Amino acid sequence: MNRVYFLHALGASAREWDQVIADLGDVGACVPLCLPGFGGSPDADLDVAGLVDWFSEQVAAHQPQSWAVVGHSMGGKIATLAAARARDGDPAFAGLAAVVLLAASPPASEPMAEERRAEMIDWFANGRIGPDEAATFVDANTAQRLPEPLRTQAIADVERSRRLAWTGWLKRDSREDWREAAGTLAVPALIVAGGEDGDLGEDAQRRLNLPHYRNARVEVVAGAAHLLPYEQPAAVATLIRDHITQAFGRALPAPFVALLASDRVSRGTRAVMTERHAAPPRGKVLSPQQRAVLAALIETVLPGAADPVDLAARIDAMLTSGIGDGWRSAELPADAEGWTSGLDTLDHLSSSFADASPADREQCLQSIADETADTEGGAFDPRQMRLWFAEARSEIARQWMALPATMARIGYDGFAVGGDGPHKQGYRLTAADMIEDWQQLEVQA
Amino acid sequence: MSAAADVTDVVIVGSGAGGAPLAARLSQAGVSVIVLEAGRAFRPDDHVADELAADIYWMEERLSGGADATAFGANNSGMGVGGSTLHWGAFCPRPDARDLRLRSESGRGEDWPIAHDELIGYIDAVERFIGVSGPARYPWDVGRRYELPPVARNAPANAMARGCTALNITATDAPAALVSRDREQPHWGERKACINCGTCHQGCRTAAKATTDTSWLPLAVAHGAEVRAECRVVDIERDGNGRVTGVVYVCRGERRRLSCRALFLCAGGVETPRLLLNLDLANSSGQVGRNFMAHVATQVWGRFDADMRMNRGYPSSLITEDMMRAGDADHAGGYLIQSLGVMPVTLATNLARGAGLWGRALVDLLDDYNRLGGIGINGECLPSDDNRLTLADETDAYGLRKARIDFSYGPNERAIDAHARKTMTAIWEAAGARDIFAVDRSAHTIGTCRMGQDGDRAVVDADGRSFDIDNLFICDNSVFPSALAANPALTIMALSLRTADRFLATRG
Ligand SMILES: Cc1cc2nc3c(=O)[nH]c(=O)nc-3n(C[C@H](O)[C@H](O)[C@H](O)COP(=O)(O)OP(=O)(O)OC[C@H]3O[C@@H](n4cnc5c(N)ncnc54)[C@H](O)[C@@H]3O)c2cc1C
Ligand code: SF4
Repeated sequence: MNRVYFLHALGASAREWDQVIADLGDVGACVPLCLPGFGGSPDADLDVAGLVDWFSEQVAAHQPQSWAVVGHSMGGKIATLAAARARDGDPAFAGLAAVVLLAASPPASEPMAEERRAEMIDWFANGRIGPDEAATFVDANTAQRLPEPLRTQAIADVERSRRLAWTGWLKRDSREDWREAAGTLAVPALIVAGGEDGDLGEDAQRRLNLPHYRNARVEVVAGAAHLLPYEQPAAVATLIRDHITQAFGRALPAPFVALLASDRVSRGTRAVMTERHAAPPRGKVLSPQQRAVLAALIETVLPGAADPVDLAARIDAMLTSGIGDGWRSAELPADAEGWTSGLDTLDHLSSSFADASPADREQCLQSIADETADTEGGAFDPRQMRLWFAEARSEIARQWMALPATMARIGYDGFAVGGDGPHKQGYRLTAADMIEDWQQLEVQA
Repeated sequence: MSAAADVTDVVIVGSGAGGAPLAARLSQAGVSVIVLEAGRAFRPDDHVADELAADIYWMEERLSGGADATAFGANNSGMGVGGSTLHWGAFCPRPDARDLRLRSESGRGEDWPIAHDELIGYIDAVERFIGVSGPARYPWDVGRRYELPPVARNAPANAMARGCTALNITATDAPAALVSRDREQPHWGERKACINCGTCHQGCRTAAKATTDTSWLPLAVAHGAEVRAECRVVDIERDGNGRVTGVVYVCRGERRRLSCRALFLCAGGVETPRLLLNLDLANSSGQVGRNFMAHVATQVWGRFDADMRMNRGYPSSLITEDMMRAGDADHAGGYLIQSLGVMPVTLATNLARGAGLWGRALVDLLDDYNRLGGIGINGECLPSDDNRLTLADETDAYGLRKARIDFSYGPNERAIDAHARKTMTAIWEAAGARDIFAVDRSAHTIGTCRMGQDGDRAVVDADGRSFDIDNLFICDNSVFPSALAANPALTIMALSLRTADRFLATRG
């Protein structure tokens, strides 16, 4: 079963998600957590790494499966750094499918006026925060006074905050700079800002969180400041649902995720497969028309098997990176030019390959393979077109076959060898019709 | 350029099969050695079990032309401390005596300037050092012994054994340069027994497979050699008489100079001639880059009713040498057949390119991955004037011109290919395969700086010494005068030891 973990803001608790979760409907099992020292949990003086470790234990307790994380404010910093560990192959975080950040604290030091920070730390000078300060804190973070009984609940949660957790965040954790560790993340992210938030409003989200996610969207919720889940639960739930449902829709099958998380797989292998399962970086070589022709070509080369738009984006990304497969035909120009010329010629040949019927496309490719295509007026002659098509279909097949989703489709478990332990795991059985207990993947196609 | 003058007796360019054994033997003899390697250093467990992510290949672009343009990149070229041995298949049949005298035997190809017996002496030394697993009795050479028992056969190997038995073809466990039991490697540590993981081509995480970075190079280092990773040689310096005085290399963006008394180029069958052609060196014969050869490596595939899962197990666990001189052969030389275990991405590209498949036919086969099985050959390739490595006009990141390799099969390669298709199809039919088809493929980068007795027809002599420059040596796949049907790495390592011995015997 898919799970969604919720990480609350400073001074809040798992309860801040009650209404959002009620509005979410059926997206998977929702697990709102109380961070250490909040919502009645024992106090703890954890730095950011400690918080991420704590979160990894929560996730690992329920593995293996696909999961998403929604992080609010302070919880957002933890969510992003968990995603970074997932990217780096940490088995505890394997299976992460989506991230949602709400008014999130960034991996960088959080922007905060020093006197405000000092004031908030001072609230705990004698060990506990008083009711007036708690109310001030809640009211300062909402666009409008929260309706009852939410306001009372929110204030009560602030009062339940423990000193070490509260001051640890303000004095140290919020200032820790984790930008380098966060790096660039491929997991699909939704970044939400409150239209009336201050330091962590839209501008800060774009400056400090967005650059860490290469596959992210920013949304601004009107009528909310910083306490989004309390202020606009319905709007927040809708955004979360759309994002997470889509991400879970393309998640790998559960047995595959389980195998990928297991100690049969090395961190290095897990990291590259996790990265590859996500959407590729944006390609810049192909025009929209060339992409459309490429998608149609992919559909003809791998009918019904590949997601043509996704694979076309991957090939564009490969061309943009300039890293190919180590060689090319001497009769073709360099890869980027080769592909654009090939696609243009293909389009020209069949007067709109993208719109042609499957039978016409098939016939067109056959004539290219036979070198009988009339390429008059195109950039390539028939021989070049044949060579380019050989290159193109092998690249299409290569990129498709390397996708974890394709491995799942064909029931391939050959990535689950080696591991990181002193004794590497391979296959005990190699003969036909004999498999081992751990080989649970079934052919999907 | 750094001012510090760096001096050594010998510089070796490249740390693969050609460079590493001689680094060990020269340093054991007290010669000071520095190995410069363009790629980076790995620990065995740095390797990733993923075909696209494995970063042990030479991926800089090469241009491939001709009617049977050969694929480079992951197909045949390594980069890293260990060279192509990082990803080699460790399939290590010995070279056949008849192949070394192919010209005398058939009037075609070339004879080697080295006697088979002498070569076998060195092969034996290589096998003992790196550890080879193989059958107790080798049918085509009954006196031969392998140190270690064979590894488990995989499903395609069992199918091939079945098919061969039915056709009266002798087949047995293949000699494989890997350890089937834990084995202590001098100066390195314990190499763990093969775990049948099947990822030899992505790098062996247990060090079961013999690679130079877990064998020869540690031996060399133990005797004082230095291995410098991520150092790309871009220039060779000479004195007024044309003798080599040192090399210039680029290390993390910085150009450095290293002086030496002798230089060994062991950069492989493409990079060695490319460097010489770029620098216009050692080419009075006009032979540098000529006679490029690639083994005929045709494969035959089919579907089985059984669950094969060919990614399991050491990939090439069965061999037959019966076709080395087939009774009905219409070609010079011969070929070896091996069972295959091919990973999905490699298979997908081979089917799309080499078998010319797309559409439903391609998808259906790939979806059936777990039921496919294949066998393939490694077949003789004759040297030809038309097959040649030249320089393209385009340059690489170091300003050196890229290599262009033109390769077309001649009549002999076509005849081998046709013979092999027929034989393998028969074996696969007898083994119970359906929907049988062939994939065109060629492998290995051979020739281009061949050795010989005559300075007009060869680049180096039998000792690997340049006819033009007496302190320049070549030792890698490029010195082969003919391809030999046996896969090359074992022979390259044997030549490497011999080159070292000859250097030690003849240095002034
Ligand atoms: C996928 C695959 C499977 C194979 N399987 C087998 C097999 O089963 N059996 C077999 O016998 N053979 C096999 N081979 C072939 C075998 O690995 C090679 O023939 C052999 O390793 C070649 O040795 P070499 O010394 O010529 O070159 P390499 O081993 O390739 O070494 C050349 C080294 O030189 C370095 N270099 C190049 N240029 C420079 C420069 N300018 N400066 C510094 N360093 C440089 C390179 O980075 C490289 O590390 C296989 C090859 C491949 C690709
Ligand atoms: S099959 Fe054996 S030799 Fe090959 S990579 Fe795995 S452990 Fe190493």
